[in-house]
This record gives sequence, structure tokens and C-alpha cells, in this order.
Amino acid sequence: MSKVKSNSSTTVRALIEVSITPQKDVGFDNIAERIYSYPEVKSCYLLSGGYDLLVVVEGESIQTVADFVAAKLSSMSHVRQTATHFLLRKYKEEGQIFKHAKSERRQNISY
Amino acid sequence: MPRVNAGRTFHIKDRCQLRISKRVDELAPSGIRAFFDLVLGMKDVISLGVGEPDFVTPWHVRARAIESLEQGYTSYTSNKGILELRKAIAAFLKKRHQISYDPEEEILITVGVSEGLDLAMRAILNPGEKILIPEPYYVAYGPVVSLAGGEAVFLKTSVENGFKVTPKQIDEAAGPGVRGILFGYPCNPTGASYTKGELEAIAKVVKKHDMLVISDEIYDELTYDFQHTPMFTLPQMRNRVVYLNGFSKSFAMTGFRIGYVCGPADIVGGMAKIHQYTMLCAPITGQMAAIEALKNAAGDVEAMKKEYDRRRRFIVGALNDIGMTCHMPQGAFYAFPSVKVTGESSLDFARNLLLQQKVALVPGVAFGQCCEQHVRISYASSYENLKEAVARIEKYLKKK
Repeated sequence: MSKVKSNSSTTVRALIEVSITPQKDVGFDNIAERIYSYPEVKSCYLLSGGYDLLVVVEGESIQTVADFVAAKLSSMSHVRQTATHFLLRKYKEEGQIFKHAKSERRQNISY
Repeated sequence: MPRVNAGRTFHIKDRCQLRISKRVDELAPSGIRAFFDLVLGMKDVISLGVGEPDFVTPWHVRARAIESLEQGYTSYTSNKGILELRKAIAAFLKKRHQISYDPEEEILITVGVSEGLDLAMRAILNPGEKILIPEPYYVAYGPVVSLAGGEAVFLKTSVENGFKVTPKQIDEAAGPGVRGILFGYPCNPTGASYTKGELEAIAKVVKKHDMLVISDEIYDELTYDFQHTPMFTLPQMRNRVVYLNGFSKSFAMTGFRIGYVCGPADIVGGMAKIHQYTMLCAPITGQMAAIEALKNAAGDVEAMKKEYDRRRRFIVGALNDIGMTCHMPQGAFYAFPSVKVTGESSLDFARNLLLQQKVALVPGVAFGQCCEQHVRISYASSYENLKEAVARIEKYLKKK
């Protein structure tokens, strides 16, 4: 398994697709509120397409995030399905490009 | 009976067995070769000794090189280089400096400026003729003159005059047999450059003595404090200047090995004669990439220049703060601080710093005897590396 690149030295981040059965009159809002109220959830978006909510979760380790998904998110009523994607490497975020150090290809000394 | 030659002692018998030419044998051996080998053999060194950009060639330029290979451009080109590239260079110079060069007769694509230097000397020098070279100088200047059968006359400069040659020095050294002056600005290793006024004063003396100028302007785009003035733009100078430039430094394309020469048709024609027999042509992939660079990489050059300038200000300030006197270089990506405070020679300082603190730089003595108390620091290295290197140099100085 690829080594997970954490967001900082102490956290890992996962993007979680959440499929929901909408509730009468309130649609997705109530269930979304229950989800985004967890402090582990850093962002939460309602999307068009193949699933309903995109939830960004941060935790201290892969296990922490997996436990959150299993114990709190998947088991929530009206949540039909989740798909969890751990972030492996950050190339660009909020317009900022993250360059990873490349090995020095030059000779150490030259005229 | 022992004889002494180039600092070494050998016997007549040895001389008879010499399999290389006397001219090559007498090339001054590099006193710092052993130091270079020491650096190259060490790991985990912070190197401020690299004479090339730390940036990778802009992606769109690399992409053009890749694309040209995919399209099957793997052949020789015209000896003088791809006409489209020569036309692009002519158009660039015309637009920027309002001076025209004929891409058919007055521009030659070379394998870096290094080849251009060699060709220029071989094309213009008769045996024993002299070329003036301000010191400190780029390491190849002396050898290309002597390999062409000429004699290099070094004009010493110092930190007091900003490491710049003066018109008076040129005037005094000029005379019969002196064909011209060879110099680079901004300068490797000092970073010194010349204002338009300073160049006009030099041009006046050059014209007075009917000399040529072999002008190495490879670092022209990396001029920080004033606008770079090419020597050929000065009045009545176009026909006595051999202008050398290329893509290595400004466009971070050292490995592509593409330079160019602009000059009067007779001299460029002479250089092309030698080039066709010795090099045939510059590599086609590099030439393709160079066309793209010239047309579309101005923004990349500007961004790299901005970053070099940021580092320049940091490194010069930091070196002065820790007690290494350093003048402010006006161009290129080199600082040239004094090591006088250590009481060591430039070579001893460089060797001890390397062994004790794992920081590599180039001893000034590589660039002429007048630089014995200086070292060349390349700031073509990340800001973080520069900060760490300065901290280590400070540690070294405190232990002295």
C-alpha cells in the first residue's frame, strides 16, 4: 500500500463520497448538518452526480479516519453508502502548487 | 638534467615520451582540480559551487524538445544552425536593441558559448597575437587564447574598482599585436557588470586602438541594478564586436548546449568554417528547444531573475553580517566575498570549510591570481540551502 502523505506531520486526510436517502421536506440538509457537525469533518459539499455529499475528513491516522467512517458516518440513518479516498499526495491546493524536493541532478561543483 | 615546465619537473627522456602536444602540455594545470575531485567525492554537501541554474528548463521548452524527437527530428542541421532559430535570434535582437544581424551571414549557432569562444579565438588570432583579458576571468578565457596560438594578457582588477577593467588599463596594454579584448559581463565569477557609460568609455579606447571586442554576454538577462547594454549597440561598435550569447543561463538550458554568435560576416564566416569541420552543427533537439525558449519563455526568465535577485540580496547581506566582506554583484548568480578575515588562502578556506562544515564553493584562485583572497559563491541554490550554508560558514568563522 502506498504510504499516505499526511497534510501535516500529524494528520491524514480523506475525501468521502456519501450517498444519502433524502428526507421528506428537508432533502439533504438535516443529514448534512449532522455530518458536518462532527469536528473531524473539515468540509462538506452537496454535489450533483453519482453521489450526494463530498465530505473531507481529517484524522491522526488512517485508522482514526476509518473508525470515524465505520462508527459514525456509515452507521448514520439515511446514509446508504460511503466510499473513502485517502489523500496520498498534494500537488496543488487553493491555487498553490506544492513541489516536492527533487534529488539534485547537477554536479556539486562546476565553473 | 631536470627541466622545469609548468610547475613540474621532468627529464628529457620524459619529454621524448610525451604523447600530447607541447601546446596542450603547457596549458596551465588547474591548481584546484584536486579540490574539485574532493567535492565530487563527498556526499551530503551543501554546494554553492555550481555554475549553472538550479531551475529546471521551463516545461514548455522541454515539451518542444520531446515533441521534436517524437516527430523524428534527429538529423544534422545546417552547419550554421536551423535558419528559423537564427531568424528568431535576429528578430529578438532587432526588437530589443534596434540592431540588425543578417541570419544568413552574421549569426552562427554554437554548442554553448564555450564553443563560440574557441571559434572566435581560432578565427581571429595569428600566432603570437595578443588578447587582453580582465582578471578575474572565466576559466576558459586564457586556454582558448593559448590553444589558438595567441597570448593572453591579463588586466588585474580589484574589489576597490568593483572588479571592473578601466579604459586606462586597456589603453596602456593596447599596442602592436594586440587584437582585442575578451571579457564577460555580468562576470563569472564576480557578478560585476558595466553601465552604458562605462562601456562607452571602454569602446572609445577600443576604437582608438582599432581592436576587436569578444563580448561574452551569456548572463545578460540576469542584470539587476541597471539595464544591460550589449557592446554591439554602442556607436560604431557593431562591426568590431563578436557577440557571444546562449540559452544556458537565462533559460536554464545548460544541458541543451545551445549558444550563438553574432558579428561581422567575415569573422562569423571564419568561425563557421572551423565549426563545420569540428562540430558540424549544434544538436538539433537543443536548437528546437531554443526556438521555443526565444519565442515563449520571456515570462519564465523574468520569474527566475526575480528569485535570483531575492537570493542575491539575502546572501550578500548575510555574508557581510558574519564578517565576510562582499560587494554587491550587479548580475549573474555569483557573490565574490573576501576570505581575508580568516587569514587563509582561498583554496585553504574552501578545503577546510568543505571538510569541517560540508559547504562547497569555488576558491577565487581558479579565476586568476588576483583573486587569492576571494571565493565564488553561487546563489543558484535554494533559499533554504543558502540560509543553512551561511549558518555553517558562520560556525566555521567562529571556530577560527
